[in-house]
This record gives sequence, C-alpha cells and structure tokens, in this order.
Amino acid sequence: MSEFLEVRGLTKRFRGLIANDRIDFSLASGALRCVIGPNGAGKTTFISMISGHLEPSAGTIRFKGRDITGLSLVRRARIGISRKFQTPTVFDNLTVMENLELAALGKPGAATARQSRIEEVIEITRLSNLARRPAFTLSHGQRQWLEVGLLLANRAELLLLDEPTAGMTSEETHATAELLHNLSDRFKLTVIIIEHDINFIRDLRSPVTVLHLGRILMEGTFDEVSRDEQVRNVYLGTA
Amino acid sequence: MKRVLSSTSTAAPARRFNWRSEWMLAAVTLVLAALLPTVVSGYPIYVLPEYMIYGMLAMSLGMLWGFTGILSFGQAAFFTLGAYAMGLAMKWGIGPNPGYVALLASILIGGVLAALVGYFLFSAGVRDIYFVLVTLALSIMVEQITISQSQVTGGFNGMFVQRMELTFGPFGKISLTHDVAVYYAVLPVVAFVYWLLRRIVASSFGKVLIGIRENEDRAISLGFSTSFYKTAAFAISGAVACFAGALYGSHAQFVSPSLASVQFSTEIVIWVAIGGRQSLLAALLGGIAVASLSNYLNTITPLYWQLVLGLVFIAAIVGFKGGVAGVVQRLAAKRSEEDI
Repeated sequence: MSEFLEVRGLTKRFRGLIANDRIDFSLASGALRCVIGPNGAGKTTFISMISGHLEPSAGTIRFKGRDITGLSLVRRARIGISRKFQTPTVFDNLTVMENLELAALGKPGAATARQSRIEEVIEITRLSNLARRPAFTLSHGQRQWLEVGLLLANRAELLLLDEPTAGMTSEETHATAELLHNLSDRFKLTVIIIEHDINFIRDLRSPVTVLHLGRILMEGTFDEVSRDEQVRNVYLGTA
Repeated sequence: MKRVLSSTSTAAPARRFNWRSEWMLAAVTLVLAALLPTVVSGYPIYVLPEYMIYGMLAMSLGMLWGFTGILSFGQAAFFTLGAYAMGLAMKWGIGPNPGYVALLASILIGGVLAALVGYFLFSAGVRDIYFVLVTLALSIMVEQITISQSQVTGGFNGMFVQRMELTFGPFGKISLTHDVAVYYAVLPVVAFVYWLLRRIVASSFGKVLIGIRENEDRAISLGFSTSFYKTAAFAISGAVACFAGALYGSHAQFVSPSLASVQFSTEIVIWVAIGGRQSLLAALLGGIAVASLSNYLNTITPLYWQLVLGLVFIAAIVGFKGGVAGVVQRLAAKRSEEDI
C-alpha cells in the first residue's frame, strides 16, 4: 500500500547551504498536516519541491503511487497538486467570480459541473456577496481566501498552503482554521500548511511536523510538540 | 472612508470594459462606415480602406498586447511578408485567382512563422522586454531580407503589385478598380476580423489569455501551459497581421522594405496605445484615426506632428493606460454615477 504523498530522502542544496536534508515524509489521503519551524528551517523549500517550483538535489516524491520527482510545475498542477503562495496571488483586475471561473477551466469537465463547483467554493470561502467585485478591492484576508478558492475551483487534491493566515486579523485567522477543517471534510482534500501563528496551529488540531535546519526534528500532536523540550529550545533559541 | 469607497467604485469600472456597450458601439460604427460612401466621395473613399487595413493590423496587436500582455514590435514584419506574398502571387500568377491564393497563404505564413518564433521563445521562458527586442529584430530581419533579395523583391525600389480581383467561379467577378467597390470589399472583411477576434478573446481560451496577462505565475500554478497559450495567441496575431499585409499590398499596389522599418513597427504600437489596448474596437479605431491624422498632419507640419505624436504616446503609456477608450469610459462611468 502506497501513501497519498510519499517523500524519501528529499534534499535541496543551494551552493554551500543545505536547505533540506534527507527528509522522509508521508501523508495519507484526506489528512491535514501542519509544518512548523523557525525561520530558515526549510519549510518553503520543502513545499516548493513538492509543488514543482524547485528541483530537488536528491530524493524522490511520489504522489498517489506515481513518481513525480521529474514532473513539471504545470503537470503537477494538472494531476492535482496546487500551491498557495505566501503573498496572495490572484488575478487582481478580474472579479471574484471571474477568478474562480478561470481557475475552474484548468481541468477538463462539463460546464455545469464547473458551475456548481464554483458556487460551492464561493460559499465556503465566504465570498458570495463579493462575487462581482474586482479582486484588488478585497481585503488582504479575503484575497488569501480567494486564492484558496482558486485551488478548490481548480479541483486540487493536495493543497500546499504557505502561511495562509499571513496578514490576517485574529478573527480571520480563527475562521481560516474552520475553513480548512471544512475543506478537508467536504472535498476530501489533503492539506499541508506552513505556519508561524501558534494559535492558528492549535485551532487546526492537526498533527504537526517540526522542521529545524532542514531536517525533521519531530512529528506529533500539537500538545506533544508544544511540550517537547527540544522544540522549545529551537523556538526560543533561534527564533 | 467615504472617499475610499467612492474612489474604488469609479476605478473599478474604468479598468474593465463593458462588453455589451462595445458591441453596440461597433455596430453603430459599422453602419456609419457602410453609409459613408453615399455622402462622401473622392479621396476619403479611396484612402479609408488603407486605414481600415491599418486598423486590422492594430487589432492584431491589441489582442496580443491588451489581452495577453505581450508587446510585439514584430507586427510590421508579418504585415510586410503578407504584402510581398500578395505582390509575388500576382506577379507569378499562382492559381486561378492569385489574389485568393495570396490571402490564404498570408494567413498560413503569418500563423506558422509566429507559431515557430513564439514556440521557441515562450518555451525558453523569454518574457517582457526580451521578447519585445526579439520581435523588433524580426522586423529588421524582414526589412533586410526584402532589401537583399532584390531579384525577387525589387530591393530598395520596392515592387509594384497588381490589384487583385474578386472572382466567384461561374457567377462572374467583380473588378476592384473602382474606389467604392474596394471600400465595400474591405469593410466587411475588417468587420469580420473584428468579430472573430472578439469571439476569441471572449472564449475560454481568451479568458486564459487574460489570466496570463493578469498573473502568469498563478496561471501556471493552476495547470495552464502558458507557453502554449502565448504561442497560440502570437500565431493568431501573426496570421491576422500578415493577412492585413496581403490586403494592403493589393490596395496600395506597391510594397517596399520600409513597411518593415522600425518606424512603422513603432507606429503600430502607438496606434494601439493611443486608441486603448484593453478593447479591440479601440485598437481598430485608434489605428484608423491616428494613421489618417498622421497622414494629414504630416503634410502640413511634419516636424511638429511627429513631436506631438511622441508626446501623446508617452502620455498614454505613463498616465492613460487605457488610451482614449479608457478616458471615455471613465467619463461615462462618472456620468452614470452622477445620474444615480
């Protein structure tokens, strides 16, 4: 039995710096996983290699049993691996609806199926009454949600979220945790989230992977991780 | 707070073109253009088809620049190739109607050449200013080739082109020696190309092009092979520009290497920038209006006119990204707001 996502010995070297060092990581279908770590731990490098934005120096990535290590960014997006960038990256001059319609065109399918998917997405991301507004008029938090909405409308199966709550108010952050919970339940999505915000990580109630200096320091529940002596040292010592 | 709200509500519609009102405007323009020969005769009717062809050339760039976000200085290269294709087809008398052969060939030549150039550049990740430079080089290459291959092209002296005829097989033919006949032959072709390009930019394919203009990285991350879409857009644009060139060759009855000059390449960009690049109708009318104004004012005050044109161009690039169409739309939006 192969896992939904299986990473073996993943390594990324930037000249002298080893950003990711022989990472082994696996995730079951429908799981929600938080990846945390101090600045420079290699979190963004890690998901960039899964999304196809960076080429690994060594190691393999398997998605649904298939080796995708050499697959291009576009092809990975087509088979369902989608990434949300750190700063909201949407189509600014298009309306919310146009944004979602465009994202839905990324996969083949009937127009009616696309439309019902869009309606579902716009409701769950709480953007229904902003449908006709150009994206650049939305608040920062709404744009973050719109970007998540784009990935949903695009029918991604594995969501890679790079600090989805960056720049959000605490209510928005809390609502985002709820949103992500609903998503993995409702659309059977598998989600990897990179985060800093400790309250958000607690709200997520998901298993946590701690990265430090390019290696996995530990994996466990939020409580296990937050009680761990080593993790506390890393956070207090470096960050 | 109130000020912020009102400024976003006026800014938003100004950036977006209202499709329905553009169809209306296009229909009115077409009717007026169709009625024009009943009121006006002589020189304007002789020269307007040429400007309409320029307008078609401007649309080829408008679709590429305004909708896909790719600026090209190579439209003149395709235009010139089309014009020479017409000249040579007529000279060599290819097929039962060399004019038809040239028109079809020009679509193929422009489309295939642009597809090849686009494929190599876009799949190699050439973007923005680098792409602009390569397309500029494309125009210069065509200019140099037409000069150097003088035994075929007539070199610097250019080449006279016999005017094509419209033949309808057993139903007879229309000779295009009369200005009014030419006018009514070119007008529907330009209208058709406008309609076709409008359909393309409003299709799913066109929506992806707009997505690439707005945020190419996002489009790639959603699984769109943007180099394929950009290549296709460039190929369509090249085909239209080359087709326009073939029509031009037949209408002007003369082609020369200066058609592919840097100056003409730049003029095309100026037409679109001034008319407005977010709308094909604006590009079309920009091409017609600026080209005819240039022609008129060039004879009166050549030096100052070039200067004025240059300044207007800079103003359009720096201050008015939507060109004249953008300004008109902003005024219309303001008025409708006052009405409410």
